Amino acid sequence: MGLTRLAHIVRKEFLELRQDPRLFGIVIIAPIIQLTMLGYAATTDVRNVPLVVVDQDVSSESRELVSRFDASPSFEVIDGLSSTDDVDRYLNTGKAWMALDIPQGYGEQIRAGRPTTVQVVADGTDANSTNVALGYASTLVASYARELASPSGQPQAPLVSAEVRVWFNPQLESKDFMIPGILALLLLVVTTNLSSMSIVREKELGTLEQLNVTPIARWELIVGKMLPYAFIGIIDVLLVVFVALLWFEVPLRGSFLLLFVMSIVYLMTTLGLGLFVSTISATQQQAMMTASFFFLIPMVFLSGFVFPIENMPAAIQPVTYLIPLRYFLVILRGIFLKGVGLEVLWPDALALFGWGVAILVLATLRSSKRLA
Amino acid sequence: MNAIEVRHLTRRFGNFVAVNDVSFDVRAGEIFGFLGSNGAGKSTTIRMLCGLLQPTSGSATVGGIDVVRDPEGVKRRIGYMSQRFSLYEALTVDQNIAFFGGVYGLSRERLARRRDFVLEIAGLRGRENELTHALAGGWRQRLALGCAILHEPPIVFLDEPTGGVDPLSRRRFWRLIEDLAAGGVAVLVTTHYLDEAEHCERIAIIQAGRLAAHGTVDELKAIFASRPILEVRAADAVGAMRTLDEMPEVEKTSIFGTAVHAVLRNAATDVQTIASRLEAKGITILSCGIVAPSLEDVFLDVAERSAA
Amino acid sequence: MITGFWKTIAVARKELRQIRRDRRTLLILLFVPAFFLLIYGYALNFDIRHVRLALQDNDRSAASRELVSAFVNSGYFDLVGEAPNPQSIDDLLDRGDARAVLVIPVRFGADVAAGRQTLVQFLVDGDNANTATTVVGYAMGLVNAQSQRYELQARIGSPAGPILNVEPRVWYNPELRSTLFLVPGLIAYIAMLTAVVSTALSIVREKEAGTMEQVRMSPIGPVPYVLGKTAPYFVVSLISSMSIVVAAIILFDMPMRGSWLVLVGIVSLFLVGALAFGLLISSIADSQQVAFQVALLTSFLPTLMLSGFIFPIASMPTFLQVVTRIVPARYFLVALRGIVLKGVGPADFLPDVIALVIYAVVILALASVRVRRQWA
Repeated sequence: MGLTRLAHIVRKEFLELRQDPRLFGIVIIAPIIQLTMLGYAATTDVRNVPLVVVDQDVSSESRELVSRFDASPSFEVIDGLSSTDDVDRYLNTGKAWMALDIPQGYGEQIRAGRPTTVQVVADGTDANSTNVALGYASTLVASYARELASPSGQPQAPLVSAEVRVWFNPQLESKDFMIPGILALLLLVVTTNLSSMSIVREKELGTLEQLNVTPIARWELIVGKMLPYAFIGIIDVLLVVFVALLWFEVPLRGSFLLLFVMSIVYLMTTLGLGLFVSTISATQQQAMMTASFFFLIPMVFLSGFVFPIENMPAAIQPVTYLIPLRYFLVILRGIFLKGVGLEVLWPDALALFGWGVAILVLATLRSSKRLA
Repeated sequence: MNAIEVRHLTRRFGNFVAVNDVSFDVRAGEIFGFLGSNGAGKSTTIRMLCGLLQPTSGSATVGGIDVVRDPEGVKRRIGYMSQRFSLYEALTVDQNIAFFGGVYGLSRERLARRRDFVLEIAGLRGRENELTHALAGGWRQRLALGCAILHEPPIVFLDEPTGGVDPLSRRRFWRLIEDLAAGGVAVLVTTHYLDEAEHCERIAIIQAGRLAAHGTVDELKAIFASRPILEVRAADAVGAMRTLDEMPEVEKTSIFGTAVHAVLRNAATDVQTIASRLEAKGITILSCGIVAPSLEDVFLDVAERSAA
Repeated sequence: MITGFWKTIAVARKELRQIRRDRRTLLILLFVPAFFLLIYGYALNFDIRHVRLALQDNDRSAASRELVSAFVNSGYFDLVGEAPNPQSIDDLLDRGDARAVLVIPVRFGADVAAGRQTLVQFLVDGDNANTATTVVGYAMGLVNAQSQRYELQARIGSPAGPILNVEPRVWYNPELRSTLFLVPGLIAYIAMLTAVVSTALSIVREKEAGTMEQVRMSPIGPVPYVLGKTAPYFVVSLISSMSIVVAAIILFDMPMRGSWLVLVGIVSLFLVGALAFGLLISSIADSQQVAFQVALLTSFLPTLMLSGFIFPIASMPTFLQVVTRIVPARYFLVALRGIVLKGVGPADFLPDVIALVIYAVVILALASVRVRRQWA
């Protein structure tokens, strides 16, 4: 009996959705487009850093140094200046990020075998990239220095060098890290506000009252409203994973089944969140504001999506335990990149499941059919 | 046992008392009218009786079921139609019927029968596949009623069901309600169209949360038993009203378009005397005579008295 | 013209009253952004410290211990334990107990003393490529520096040190605090979202409630309507955005090296475009649900990822760089960083100002065409 009523609610939701083909298109197609674009956006490779050179020496030695920089894929020499005064202009407008300042007398020092220093001026605005770029510059100069110092004039290896091996992501592909995150975020955005808006809309239009007057049970109403969006969410998951695997060639080293099951658990939390928002909002505008500012935005920043949680100050880290996205990201990245399963991921899976149950229970308790 | 029994029902919102110690009964097969201005407490009362709102104090039974203790039980035995004709705009006529039928748990055969019934009374045969939001007011109204009674409830609550609907549709709607009542259904209607309230067997007038008057239409009109109403139609209605106000025989006046209603203190007052006094003041009388009190007169009188 | 102005005021006043009544929305629009800046600005940074490092020292000589302490003393790495065998390395990295492992070979000390070339292994968890790159950079730098020290001891190369040195000088942000990079981006992000979200539902709400008909019947006219509806949100967003800027200066020592006047001007220009964008969405959507979805999908993730907030645009593939041209936050961010960190004026980021102007004008035009068409 309860199930037939449930089926009717689900059917009604789908009929309503069908009437708004735009919405349908948005929730199915837009995520794919988003993923396609955003997957490419995430990169921290530092390449072709625009560099200006102030060569105050103009000797064959200085030109040699400049050509080393030019030949490197990390840098692109865009201009040569005669004095350091012009450097301002380039860095202020952002035309160049770095400037190489070779002092007068450089060539002579080198020929005489005396130590000399060149200056590199860097735009520190993008601290991260600057760090990396300065590192490249140091390495380039250091190896050139060894070359100059060796008696044979041949490149000489340092005494101690490091062989770097990167686990899980040998090419250091940012996209492999970001795309699972984007998947999670897209799911969150689409399903949370679909479910929150839909209930509040019925509140606003008055049809919710009409439903409350019927003998329909609370759980039937809630589950009936959530199921269509769960269904849409699952389709989204499959589509996005499909694109990630085939187009972006993100490796899927773990179990697809586990991925699917965990996605469903995650959907429990996102839909539950939407439901909860709808119980605390009277109008759709309120639902929208509440959902985006109090839930979506914090989740983007504090879940480990882009900014590593380990970097966060100790005071904030406990807060991140309250964010379901945090656990799902660990699970996703574990399955995609590390190829691990429940034996490693069980704490996060449990936390995610617990979160889902808690929020659904809380939302259900709040959505009474009778106002007190 | 009455279909609806209300005893000292009260509802507070913070310091504001929306419904204040209201008691009345509604019998099966009776059309009971709930009159009152906006904000008087009509909708709040209905919501409590439907199990949508918890009373602050007092009790009520609907269909023999205690509203406070078993609101869900109540919902199985009632039909409810809100002022907004709550239908799903994006669904077709048929889909709305099927949905509500499903929610009320109608079997397939019963749903088919009831569907035919609703389409018939609403006049929507042949229009089953039209989208609800494309329907004009009167059609939507009747569809909403139909969806509310799919499960043949013995008690029906209608909250301002004729708002924004043309007079012809309104009349048609009231015939439907009368048919319902004739079949033994208890109908509680709220309205602020006083002319429609004449369809009701008994009426309660709610004013600022309190039950200001209560009884059959005739019983209510009996307050004018010893105070006949004189109706004067004049081109200068305002002038006529002012003149009548000054006369000692007149208790109070009210104006309805070009007609002035003057409540006379005494049944013995001579109409002709009044008429000549008006003419003496230069007011051209189109007609002048005692009329039977309308519910509007009753309502104004009650409103004035409870405000005092 | 004059009557148009007064009509606009009338619409604006009504909208303002509606906003004031929805207290929660108003509070959210005004105060939450600054509050969140506090949290996120504090929480978010790319500075990598306390990287969990595990050690496999197969040599245990004075030289290897010196190398290890170089790592630990740098402040970048925290030694969390030993990894006695390859399996334990796998475990540590799999479980995330360590993010990096340093493996020192058996004859390290002897080789170094004798001047023989030797190799250490540095294994890093690459799942977060951002941090991995940086961590690798640190490690390489440390190894390099240590190598030079050993070279000196073994009397390889010149006693005075390497023949060529590089002295880095960092402008605008000498300590390379990533906060200074992120906070302006955060400001842009929050400002964009606040503006779009506040106007995205404004028109479509009236459409859904049916009061749009009434408005069209009145002698208001589409232009005063659009302007009047946007004006209160402009004021609210401007107050909100400037309060975030002030909060950032106070709480995060964000410098303000440029002109306040120019800053307010740029913020206003950006907000106009963002509000207009929300309005455009509102005029196109027929339900609030659709409007909200579109607003989120076009602003939420794209502004985060494509505006230069976190990922440098210059590093993106070309086709994506073209796409970023329609993200207004991109231009705003360049201008904002320029004013705040570099202390420059509009002359130095003129192309971005022009882009913002074009954006605002185009979107406003589109929105009013749309509204006008629906008005008739």
